[in-house]
Amino acid sequence: MKNLFRKMEDEPWLFLAPALLIYAIFAIWPMIDVTMMSFQRWNGLDPERVFVGLSNYRYVLTQDAVFWTAFVNTVIWTLLSLVCPPLIGLLLALGLNQPLVGRSALRAIYYLPVIIAPIAVATMWRWMYDPFFGLFAQMLTNWGFGTSIPDFLGNRETALYWVFVAYVWQQVGFSMVLFLAGLQNVDRSLVEAAQIDGAGRWKTFRYVTMPAIMPTITIVLVLSLIQSIKAFDIVYGLTGGGPSQSTQMLALWAFTQSMQIFDFGRGGAISVILLLITVVIVIPYLRWSMKNEGRS
Amino acid sequence: MNAMLKSFRRDPLLAALWIALIVVAALWIAPFVFIVFTSLKTTSDVMATGAFTPPTEIAWENYGVAWNRGNFSTTVFNSALVAVIKVPLGLAIAALAAYALARMKSRFNRAVLLFIVFGTMIPFQVMLAPLFTLVNSLGLVNTYIGLILPYLAFGIPYQIFILHSFFRGVPKELSEAALIDGAGHFTTFRRVFLPITLPVLAALFILDFVATWNEFAMALVIMQDAGKWTLPLGLMSFQGQFSNDYGQLNAAIVTTVLPAVLVYLIFQRYFVSGLASGAVKG
Repeated sequence: MKNLFRKMEDEPWLFLAPALLIYAIFAIWPMIDVTMMSFQRWNGLDPERVFVGLSNYRYVLTQDAVFWTAFVNTVIWTLLSLVCPPLIGLLLALGLNQPLVGRSALRAIYYLPVIIAPIAVATMWRWMYDPFFGLFAQMLTNWGFGTSIPDFLGNRETALYWVFVAYVWQQVGFSMVLFLAGLQNVDRSLVEAAQIDGAGRWKTFRYVTMPAIMPTITIVLVLSLIQSIKAFDIVYGLTGGGPSQSTQMLALWAFTQSMQIFDFGRGGAISVILLLITVVIVIPYLRWSMKNEGRS
Repeated sequence: MNAMLKSFRRDPLLAALWIALIVVAALWIAPFVFIVFTSLKTTSDVMATGAFTPPTEIAWENYGVAWNRGNFSTTVFNSALVAVIKVPLGLAIAALAAYALARMKSRFNRAVLLFIVFGTMIPFQVMLAPLFTLVNSLGLVNTYIGLILPYLAFGIPYQIFILHSFFRGVPKELSEAALIDGAGHFTTFRRVFLPITLPVLAALFILDFVATWNEFAMALVIMQDAGKWTLPLGLMSFQGQFSNDYGQLNAAIVTTVLPAVLVYLIFQRYFVSGLASGAVKG
C-alpha cells in the first residue's frame, strides 16, 4: 500500500489529470460541439439534432444581413482596439516612467477602470450617456450646447463609437501596465549614452527604447486583439446590439441566434466563423511564444 | 518635491508632461466622482443640480433601498460563494499541473503545454450556446457547480502558463536535493515549490478573484433562476427595471464595484506583478 502511494507521488499524469479533464470537457468539448451544431438544425430542446450540411453557413453568409453588420462592426472594433488603447497606454507609460511626484497614485487611477466588471462599466456609461440627466448631457448644457445634445446610444450611425469610448476608458490601464513593465527592460545606461551622444527624445525613443520594448508591443497587440473579440459584456450592457442591430457584434449575434432566437445551428455557424478567425490570428503568436519559452 | 521643481526648471517639458498626466487622470476619475455623487442624491436633486455638484443633502437611503430592491443579499452571497470555492480550487489544480509540466519527465510535456496554452486564447464568449448545452445535459443549470466547472476550465490555462514558467526558473539543485533525500514529487511540490511560489500565487489569486467576481456572460446563460444570480446579473436586471431611479441605480453600481475596487487598492502591487510576470518575461 505504501509502495502504491510512493508510486503515485511520481506519476505525472496524476498531477495533470484534474486540470486536463476539466479543461478538455468544459473548454475543448464546447468548441467541438459548436462545430457539430453548425452543421445541424436544432432549437436547443428537441432530442434530435438534424444534419443539414452547409445550409446554416449558406444562410448566415448570404441571407443574414445582421451577420454582415456584425462582421463589419467586429472588424472596425478590432482595428480601433489595436490602435487606441495601446497607443494611449504607451504614451501614459512613457510619461509615468519619468521621475514624477505622485506617479504611483496616477498609475492607480488609470488602472482602476480595468478591475471593474465590464457590465458595471456598461451600466455606468449608459447612465453617463443619458440624453437628459447624464454626465455628458449636463456638461453640454452647462457649456451652452443644451439644444444640440446628441442621442449618444440612440443614433445608428454613431452608437458603436460611443460604446467604444467606454471600452477605451476601461482598457487603457491594461496596456499601460504592460508597457510600464516592459519599459523596465530598457537599459538605462544605453538611454544615457544616447543622450550624451546628442540624440533627441524622439531618436532615443526610436533607436533605444523601441527595440527594447518590441516583445511587449507584440504581446500588448495580441492581447488587445483577443480582448476585442471577447467584447461582449460592454455591448450587451450598453446597447444590447441596438439601435436596430447597428452595434451588433459577432460574439453577441451568435449568442442572440442561439439563446434568444433558439436557432443553435445558425448561432453555431457564426461561432465557428469567429473561432476560425481567432485561431488563424492566434496560431502564429503561439508559435512565437513557445519558441521564446523553449529559449528561456 | 524640491528635487522635482529643480528638474522642472532644467526641463520645462517635464513640467508640461506632469500637468498633462494630471489632467488626463482627472478625466479618468471623473466618471467615478459623478457616479458616487449621483448615488447620494435624491431624484429631484439629480435633476436640479449639476453633475459635479456634491449632493445638497446626502441621501444614504438610496443604498438601503437599492440593496433590497436589487436583491443584493442574494447576489452578493452567490458571487462570494462561487469565488471562494473557484479561486483556491483552480489555483491548486493549476499549480499541480504546472509542476508536472515543468519538472516531471514525460514525452508529452511540450504537446500538453501547447494544448493548454491554446486555451488562454479561446474566447469563451463565442461559445456560450454549446457551454449552456453541455451544462444543461449534465443537469447542472442553475447550480453553483455548473458555473464553477466552466469557470475553472477557462481560468486554469493562464495560471498553468504563468506557474509553469515560474517553476522552470527554480534552480534544479533545490528540487533535486529533495528528490535525492527520498522525497517523492508530491512532497517536493508541497514542501519546496509551494513556499517559494507564494508571491506568484498571491498575485494570481487576486487577479482571478476579481475576474471571477466580474464575470457576466457565462453566468448569464447558466444561472437563469434569479435566486442563483451573481452580482453582475443582478446589476443588469436592476438597470432594466429601475433605470429612472437615478440615485438608486448609481448606488447599485457603487455597491457592485466597491469590493473589486477595495481588493485592488489593498493589493495593488500584486496586480502589477501578476500581470507583468505573465506578459513581459518574454
